[in-house]
Amino acid sequence: MGFSTALQVFFSGLNLGSIYTALGLGFFVVYSVTRVLNLAQGEFVMLGGMLTVSFYTMGIPLPASIALAVVITGLVGAGFYRFIIYPARNASGATKVFLTLGFSFIIEGVALRVWGWEFRILPAFLDTPSIQLWGATIFGQTPWVIGITLLMVIGLFFYFGRTIQGKALRACANEPLGARLMGISIERMALFSFILAAGLGAVVGALITPLTMTSYSMGLPLAAKGLLAAFVGGITRAEGVILGGFIYGMIEAITAGVIPGGYHNAIAPLILVVIFLSRRRGLLVTAGKG
Amino acid sequence: MAKKIVLALVAAVFLIGGLVSCKKAESVASYKIGVVVAQTGNYAGLGSQFLEGMQLMVDNVNGAGGVNGIPLEVMIYDNKSEATEATLAAKKLIEVDQVHVLIEGTVTAIGMTIVPLANESGVPTVILSGTGLLDDQLGAWVFRPAGTEDNYIAKSLDYMSQELGISKYATLIENSGYGQGGKVYLPQRSPDYGMTIVEEQYFDPGATDLTPQLTNIKNSEAQLIFVWGSSPTAGMAVKQARELGISLPIMATPPQVMPDMLASFGESYEVEPPLLATTTKMDIWEQLPDSDRYKALCRDFVQLFMERYDHRPSLWQMLGAQYITFIEDGLKRAEITSTDVAEIRSQLRDALESTKDLQLLTSIYTMSPEDHFGQVEQTLVIVTFKDGEMVYLP
Repeated sequence: MGFSTALQVFFSGLNLGSIYTALGLGFFVVYSVTRVLNLAQGEFVMLGGMLTVSFYTMGIPLPASIALAVVITGLVGAGFYRFIIYPARNASGATKVFLTLGFSFIIEGVALRVWGWEFRILPAFLDTPSIQLWGATIFGQTPWVIGITLLMVIGLFFYFGRTIQGKALRACANEPLGARLMGISIERMALFSFILAAGLGAVVGALITPLTMTSYSMGLPLAAKGLLAAFVGGITRAEGVILGGFIYGMIEAITAGVIPGGYHNAIAPLILVVIFLSRRRGLLVTAGKG
Repeated sequence: MAKKIVLALVAAVFLIGGLVSCKKAESVASYKIGVVVAQTGNYAGLGSQFLEGMQLMVDNVNGAGGVNGIPLEVMIYDNKSEATEATLAAKKLIEVDQVHVLIEGTVTAIGMTIVPLANESGVPTVILSGTGLLDDQLGAWVFRPAGTEDNYIAKSLDYMSQELGISKYATLIENSGYGQGGKVYLPQRSPDYGMTIVEEQYFDPGATDLTPQLTNIKNSEAQLIFVWGSSPTAGMAVKQARELGISLPIMATPPQVMPDMLASFGESYEVEPPLLATTTKMDIWEQLPDSDRYKALCRDFVQLFMERYDHRPSLWQMLGAQYITFIEDGLKRAEITSTDVAEIRSQLRDALESTKDLQLLTSIYTMSPEDHFGQVEQTLVIVTFKDGEMVYLP
């Protein structure tokens, strides 16, 4: 493998890694506050992408289109928590996972009626052209995905680590009883985490559409990849999500580049499963937590 | 006594009347066509398009008084883009709805799953499958009057070697049922045209980044890339190749130039050198010479279609319409003289198998016990792209 090929594989891994990291953040937010594995997270991403494209094609500028998409998706997230998760708050974890899966199918069905089956695509933000570097290429949208994902990660670190509300959110997950005794409303915090995850998901949807395209049915496949990445890295920590995302992206890029005969789609998940089996709490989570 | 005679007379009248009416009304109220097609899931796009074309032709036939005066009745079930759902739906159509003929109009992988069921139950079935790999597995009851990769492989390879002088090329093939045809046949046929495949790469439908595969191709000795796929990713492959600055000619398969793909990737298709693809004559009927009999055929269909749907038909819409015409022709010739479902199914099967010189939108078809595919002439064309239009390369 020549230098430019190796570099291209690296860029490809960077590209995929930033997408998977972005996808994983929403799982992290909901899971770390409520311990609910929200399989509908992919639908928030799909809604963000589809709504942004819809507003954008109506002639609304891209930033405003994204903002509208985020607000609407956030409301969907709020409704999802209030009317589906909240009534089942005392149910088992497995029940809640099934509820999120059911909701995912509902959203997919509605999206099919609203938008039809056609896939849609957006131009790279500000029409950023591809960048040629030492014989390899970075897509124009990739720096946007990396940059905005980084901003979201920094924002989450600051929020969870430095603000009272963020600390309260974490307390809900770590010590639910203690948090309640301190006067924290667990329900309100959970509601907030769903809104936050939906909003983040919507941003991610708009962000990756120039690279991945979007259609009504893309939610669950995306959720599966983001979730796998988040689990491998450690779903209870933002660093874990980043690490998992980039490991997944790199493995996919390397296998796609070197494994002949189209077997790479089986090899990448296999490697992840092996990593996961050897560190079941995720690479970045030490024993006792998570 | 008199009472008894009256009763006997009445009974006799009823009996005779019954016999006579049986003899006269030996026809069903409608010919029932059961349809299994993807309305949701990954292939919802293809399935919905197939339905549009089919519905158009059913209404057309019924508007003209049906077949032999009997209307077509269509029952549609969603296969949700899954093989198991397709089998369940087909079972229900056969056993509960008692349809006379079955259509599966989505993709090879799904259509093939109902083949055993159709043969066991004795129901004439028309499936949509685009590969010749499964020709010997159809059995006595299944037909597929559609093109296969054989057509476009011959057309594309011929164009590549004769017009472009290619001797070495690379393949970039989708990991899917559709991709199998390219994976098997391209290496098999290329030597006949004096060409070798110097790089073989694959991608998943739904993949987002094909740059590692494209870089391998870029670094090979390939003079052309043959991109083979039916998912949006196959269109994306062309876009990414051009973004990587790869300026090799690219040859594409018919699904990649369907309208939704052109809407998303049309611009990339025009980057020099513009994309080459095989497609149907319908896509470029305006550019055909008047001497080509497909010109009038396609024009009539496109006009009929656009009166109702306001956009140009695609390959799948064309196939949906074509399958109804194929069945209509069979029903016309079947000389159905019974109301018994099993008998009608069997008579229709025999009629479909003896289809002869039937001109459909994509080709002429002649079926036989040995050949349930029946396409007798190759009609695909090579096109390229300029200023948002498809350009015919004679």
